[in-house]
Amino acid sequence: MNSIRPVALFTGAGFIAAILGAACLSAAGQTPVQPTRSDAEKDPVLKAMLTEMDRSKDQLQLKDFQKPFFIQYRIEEVDSFETKAEFGATSSSRRNQGRMARVTVRVGDYKTDSSGGRGDGAVELAALDDDPIALRSALWMATDQAYKSALAAYAQKQAELKQVETPPQADDFSKETPVISLAEPLKLKVEERAWEERVARDSGLYRTDATVKDGQHDVQYSVGSFSARVTTTWLVTSEGTIVRKSAAGYQESFGVGTQAADGMRLDRSYTTTGTSLKDLDAPEVFEKKAVALIASLTDLRKAPLVEEEYHGPLLLSSDAGADTLYALVGSGVTATRPKLGTEARTNGPFASSYHARVLPDFFDVVDDPGLKSYNGKSLVGAYDVDDEGVPALAVKVVVDGRMENYLLGREPVRDFPQSNGHGRAGLAAPPKPSIGVLQVTAKEGLTDEELNSRLLALAKDRGLKSVYYVATLGGNLTPRLLYRITPDGKRELVRGAELDDLDQRTLRSGVVAAGKHLWVANYFGEVPETVLAPALLIDDVTIRRANKKNDKLPFYPPPE
Amino acid sequence: MTTELHRAFTSLGKQGDDKQLPPYFLSYAVSDATVVAIQAQYGALVSSSANHVRVADVQVRLGEPKLDNTHGAHRSSAVNSASLPLADDREALARSLWLATNAGYGKALDNYLRVKTEAEVRAKEEDSSPDFSQEAPQVYLGKPAPQVKIDRAAWEQRIRALSRLFRDFPDVNQNLVILAVQNETDYFVSSEGSRVMTPHAQARVVVIAVTRADDGMDMFRSQTFEAETAEGLPAQAQLEAAVRELGNSLEALRKAPVTEPFDGPAILSGRAAAVFFHEVLGHRLEGQRQRGDEEGQTFTKEVGKEVLPAFLSVADDPTLTTFGKTWLSGNYQYDDEGQKAQRVDLIQDGMLKTFLMSRLPIASFANSNGHGRASTGHVPIGRQGNLIVTSTKTVPESELRKLLIEEAKKQNKPYGLYFEDISSGFAVTQRTSPQAFQVIPLVVWRVYVDGRPDELVRGVSIVGTPLAAMKRILVSGDKSEVFNGECGAESGTIPVSAVAPAMLFSEMETQRQPQGTARPPILPIPGAEAVAPAKKEAQ
Repeated sequence: MNSIRPVALFTGAGFIAAILGAACLSAAGQTPVQPTRSDAEKDPVLKAMLTEMDRSKDQLQLKDFQKPFFIQYRIEEVDSFETKAEFGATSSSRRNQGRMARVTVRVGDYKTDSSGGRGDGAVELAALDDDPIALRSALWMATDQAYKSALAAYAQKQAELKQVETPPQADDFSKETPVISLAEPLKLKVEERAWEERVARDSGLYRTDATVKDGQHDVQYSVGSFSARVTTTWLVTSEGTIVRKSAAGYQESFGVGTQAADGMRLDRSYTTTGTSLKDLDAPEVFEKKAVALIASLTDLRKAPLVEEEYHGPLLLSSDAGADTLYALVGSGVTATRPKLGTEARTNGPFASSYHARVLPDFFDVVDDPGLKSYNGKSLVGAYDVDDEGVPALAVKVVVDGRMENYLLGREPVRDFPQSNGHGRAGLAAPPKPSIGVLQVTAKEGLTDEELNSRLLALAKDRGLKSVYYVATLGGNLTPRLLYRITPDGKRELVRGAELDDLDQRTLRSGVVAAGKHLWVANYFGEVPETVLAPALLIDDVTIRRANKKNDKLPFYPPPE
Repeated sequence: MTTELHRAFTSLGKQGDDKQLPPYFLSYAVSDATVVAIQAQYGALVSSSANHVRVADVQVRLGEPKLDNTHGAHRSSAVNSASLPLADDREALARSLWLATNAGYGKALDNYLRVKTEAEVRAKEEDSSPDFSQEAPQVYLGKPAPQVKIDRAAWEQRIRALSRLFRDFPDVNQNLVILAVQNETDYFVSSEGSRVMTPHAQARVVVIAVTRADDGMDMFRSQTFEAETAEGLPAQAQLEAAVRELGNSLEALRKAPVTEPFDGPAILSGRAAAVFFHEVLGHRLEGQRQRGDEEGQTFTKEVGKEVLPAFLSVADDPTLTTFGKTWLSGNYQYDDEGQKAQRVDLIQDGMLKTFLMSRLPIASFANSNGHGRASTGHVPIGRQGNLIVTSTKTVPESELRKLLIEEAKKQNKPYGLYFEDISSGFAVTQRTSPQAFQVIPLVVWRVYVDGRPDELVRGVSIVGTPLAAMKRILVSGDKSEVFNGECGAESGTIPVSAVAPAMLFSEMETQRQPQGTARPPILPIPGAEAVAPAKKEAQ
């Protein structure tokens, strides 16, 4: 749809747009025609939104108060199917359709407006039917509420401004060029019964698969799930922006768990994701992976506990690297309005890092929501236009290890007066800056073998008896599959470890090498996000025994 | 279920060297429900779904009936819930039940140890009744409820059409019309040998509408229709009439004058009296309210004494499925502890006889009377089913109105009040809160003594103490009305009914309710342009 994808590079308050790719034609090979308002009005939802928007723009004003200077209507339609199974049988299966309307009203002006920290605007259930009166009624109710709250918030803001000496560091709201962009809505098409059966079968593999069923006695839970979701968003602003966009997400998951003899909980899970059904693993591939997870529990139960404390090199697989970079870098590259009265630029771990080094100098980080696939894998974090109606830009966040840009929506911060199309919103939630497709690359990246040799070399250099390799991480960056490797290259699975010192400082100065191949990690959070990241070899990390509470083993045996 | 229960009961506490305490009671209560829910607002559908859920509540009791893991504040430790496979896959069901039982046992064990410690360090309790009553096991296998089968498209159209009627009432700024049809089969098995399977079906249409007066006062009205199945619900024309009635009533209410503080005679309509009795009296007759240091114990020492005028009697009878032609929501065959439902005469000729009992005994009553109810995930407690108020001193409703006027004259009041509709709030019976009931009058009229036409007022709230108000009932009407609703309390939300005739109170104290200050919507509701001229013409 977008014919050009510029890379935004901000230097100081200036703005240089470098054209990345040459203008290319749309998929159909025709010259894209800029849609107009009358094209939009052929869509009954947009038509209702525009009618009500016109009315609000013209007439919405409380006597003796100011009119809104900005109104945005966003209606989201979610069509989803989810099925879950445990121990070989379906436990729930649900098809859901719903529409939510979110209305944002701002009073004041672009410099100082009513926006505050609590998420401005109001939410209403919207009609599933394309009924103009019903659609408009939901918008009307939410607009009325949002306008009244905005007036109150604006008065409060004026009072708060009088309490602080340091003025705000940036305008409250950025001016953007209105766009009209009309993508075709996607349709949810899944064979519900077939997926119920497939997921039920996944969850019963522990007792049906010949290679693992001997261990079924020890399996405490075995769950499968599949979810499919199509979200269509209609967005209209008082500035003239009209957007219709549609996104799909599919995922199939499997999780299995047990306890070791000492009571330690052992959990494994696997998820395959994509933006279309064909992105998911074929059934036999998925089953094979699920069986491997079940089998790994037997290995984990037998695995020795990690030593009490270890300081030394650690190799994170690209899978683990992606989770690490998502948690430590992904959380810091977005810019949000700092507390009133302070001189801060933004919040988070990189709040004061503009132009400073945040990663070793061989790293670059770009967030490019326009990247739809990588190595044949679809990327769920990709999109064309954000939830504030701003076209997504590719942003060079880190250049040669230095923080040169932040990801922004329409709430500017010091030195960054414009949105770069990263204002994204969860269902019915207010937009906030988020990553789309965050790509972390290392110059002169190494192959897995080379990384492994470097790891062993470090062990020898330092006279260590063993070093560690993390294959996968669970929540809170806790290793799920951790291997102890002796200098001769022998690997042994160990359990019960947690990582210490894995933080922004370690990333900045402790990463000594990185892989050349990028792992694709799709995250289906409130907003879908993707991280592409290499394996990371870290010089010095602490690994210690988790010492978590070990629950009692089952009080009585499972049924035969 | 039975097999797995037996296996659990005979295995628990007998494993390994460090023998743990075996449970003395174990039960599985499974609710298997299919639900169709359709919702419309502003004249269009906002959701329509069909769903199947199966949930198991595993109850584990450790110790002995005299003192177990559910004592005092630990009551919730009896139940652990888990969703069960929907398919009748024996192996998967057994495994899920095992997982839930295991977790439930762990929770019960932890709580039992704490209960024992607390029992040792505390002073003697006011009520030293045991924690669990002895009851005979029940065996009853009814027919399972069929899956909900309705014509969804046709019902979607009906619900949508009902919501659309509010377009004729542009001052109604929010409306919601809901159809909920639920067919449920309840299974109960216990280590005492109970095996019960009962069906429960209910179809419900709920209409809710909201308006706001120019001074910022929010007003709502709701109307519900219940039947065993969707076919049993009223015809569309009747539902339409009810919607119009709500619309008209709200438009009249928002223009009605705001009430002034008043202390004088009042009539509660049958429907209003039913809600009033459910909230004010019914909740205080729940057995567990008489036990525990935190409870109000309003009626604990009143058994055998007169608590209502002698012409009134109150029973709770879950075995009734209809009253006249009206379906009663609060019916059930067996309660959620597997006990057979019973009619209980709570108050006879004004005299308090007993309480609504679950298997939680109290000082004066040791056994359940089949009123242990809960929604899934909660431990059952004594709750109402169908509360039925009867009177031996009745007059026709027209006579009741005359008596109201006479009473007002006698008290030198310019008018008496007629409460046409009240909504239930929450009955607060705990000691730390004032003993005031919470009912919200929705439609109240002033009935003038001088023959002026009745006048609608808004913003009325009832004040005063419940017991006092109930003793001031002078006479009742001769026709009973049914209120069907959902009742929320500690053990979750359950369907209930209340049946009562209209009643004349010699004194009811009211005040003006605290009101909002938010302005009504600035712009008219979309579509109102089309309505306004038409209305004018009609006038």
